[in-house]
Amino acid sequence: MSVDGAALDVAPRPARSAAQEPGAAALSKVGFTRRLVRGVVVLAATAIVAQSFYVVQARPGDLITGVHGMVDIIRRAMPPAWGDIADIAWPALETVDLAIFGTVFGVLMAVPLAVMAAANVTPARPLYYLARAIIALTRAVPDLVWALLFVTAVGLGPFPGALALAVHSIGMLGRLFAEVIEDMDFGPVEALTLTGASRLQVFTHAVVPGVAPSLLGIGLYRFDENLRSSLVLGFVGAGGIGFRLLTAMNLFQYQTVSLLLIATFILVMAAERGSALLRRQVA
Amino acid sequence: MRYPNGKLALDGVDLTVRAGELVTILGSNGSGKTTLLRCIARLQNPSEGQVLVGGEDLARLNGEALRRARLALAMVFQRANLVRRRSVLANVASGTLGRRRTLWTTFGGLPAEELPAARELLRKVGVERLGAQRADTLSGGQAQRVAIARALAQSPKLVLADEPVASLDPEAAEEIMRLLRQLAVENGLAVLCVLHQPALAQRYSHRVVGLRDGLVVFDLPAAFCADQEIALLYKDLAA
Repeated sequence: MSVDGAALDVAPRPARSAAQEPGAAALSKVGFTRRLVRGVVVLAATAIVAQSFYVVQARPGDLITGVHGMVDIIRRAMPPAWGDIADIAWPALETVDLAIFGTVFGVLMAVPLAVMAAANVTPARPLYYLARAIIALTRAVPDLVWALLFVTAVGLGPFPGALALAVHSIGMLGRLFAEVIEDMDFGPVEALTLTGASRLQVFTHAVVPGVAPSLLGIGLYRFDENLRSSLVLGFVGAGGIGFRLLTAMNLFQYQTVSLLLIATFILVMAAERGSALLRRQVA
Repeated sequence: MRYPNGKLALDGVDLTVRAGELVTILGSNGSGKTTLLRCIARLQNPSEGQVLVGGEDLARLNGEALRRARLALAMVFQRANLVRRRSVLANVASGTLGRRRTLWTTFGGLPAEELPAARELLRKVGVERLGAQRADTLSGGQAQRVAIARALAQSPKLVLADEPVASLDPEAAEEIMRLLRQLAVENGLAVLCVLHQPALAQRYSHRVVGLRDGLVVFDLPAAFCADQEIALLYKDLAA
């Protein structure tokens, strides 16, 4: 099997370039090199995609033989257990509140961090590197992993999930906020500095009005992302709809599962539309 | 003034601007005009020499003392540099922040007691109807007038203008120059203005200073500044 795959990857290469050569001879030398480079790039891309099929063990046949299993699950999931709606109202609220908590605390922590991590306004070099390091660390570790860590630290429930979202948001927001501050128009800052205003006055009167709408827009977008993340966080025991979904799956309550998926769909769509609408308002 | 990379941008420039006088600086690109203004305002630090404003040497001051000394000088930039998302009136009133340092203004509030004066300044520069508009809705000429009003709100003794008309159409340029001259003549301010248009300089200023490679080539009353002097500034570049 592996020999087969390797042969498949390599074989077209000499064949293709040999076929190109007669046509290329008529063209200029530059044209030929460009065609050769393009051919190599296309081949390399094909090879990369081909090896991914091999590594993930893609077996399209299994999709077809698995159809009746899926149909069976869908049949058992219908109709959704509408009677459980009162039951899932609380986890749904928990999910939304996870996102709200995570976003609000993420923004509150990210703003001062971004001020330190923006090269043009940072108060001191060591603080700049410290802030950049915090942002890199909180960003690089996914929120799911943060949730696992916090579940270990503070136990099961929504609180570790909220903390996970907050911490991961600090990194994601901090970087974007810092970029907004770095790209800011510096003219007004210079102009106000020259009026003899204090550093803090310059910050509140020139920097803040300049960047506030962008920050608000990024924050709203983050809320949307946090809501989608908070659905998954339940899988590691961090509360919300995800936790109910996991429980229902384990108990083979597929009708509850379908209801939960519908609720999830509504929540995600509402958050997406709502945040897009608000972002348009502040733009 | 010598830049860290060793380039000498200004060399022994000795210039006096008296109250009630509009002095323009002419020179080709890279002659040191803008550097001169930025040195006076201490946006850049001169490597040697003095910048005396009302008897105080700005080149020696730092921190709080510099901030206080800067109250006496205001600057108008090529682009108006208004805070785009705030109202015109707020932009003018923010010119007074240096002498209105309260907790309220520190956290973004506007000094309410300065608002009537700010409105009066808007009337003076001819845009009194625009006070409530957001600054990013203004045309170039209007924005520059508002920037001048903000500079005046500071009640300065000296106004520095760095190519204030460079991005304006000819008509707006004339109006801004007329306004600057009026400030010098009627309000007794010292106005130092960098220009790229010799014709405007000859028409509106009291004195014209020619700068070339960081050296003062001439310093003449506008009436004596003829085209041949101006040609000195740009000659090599044209050839």
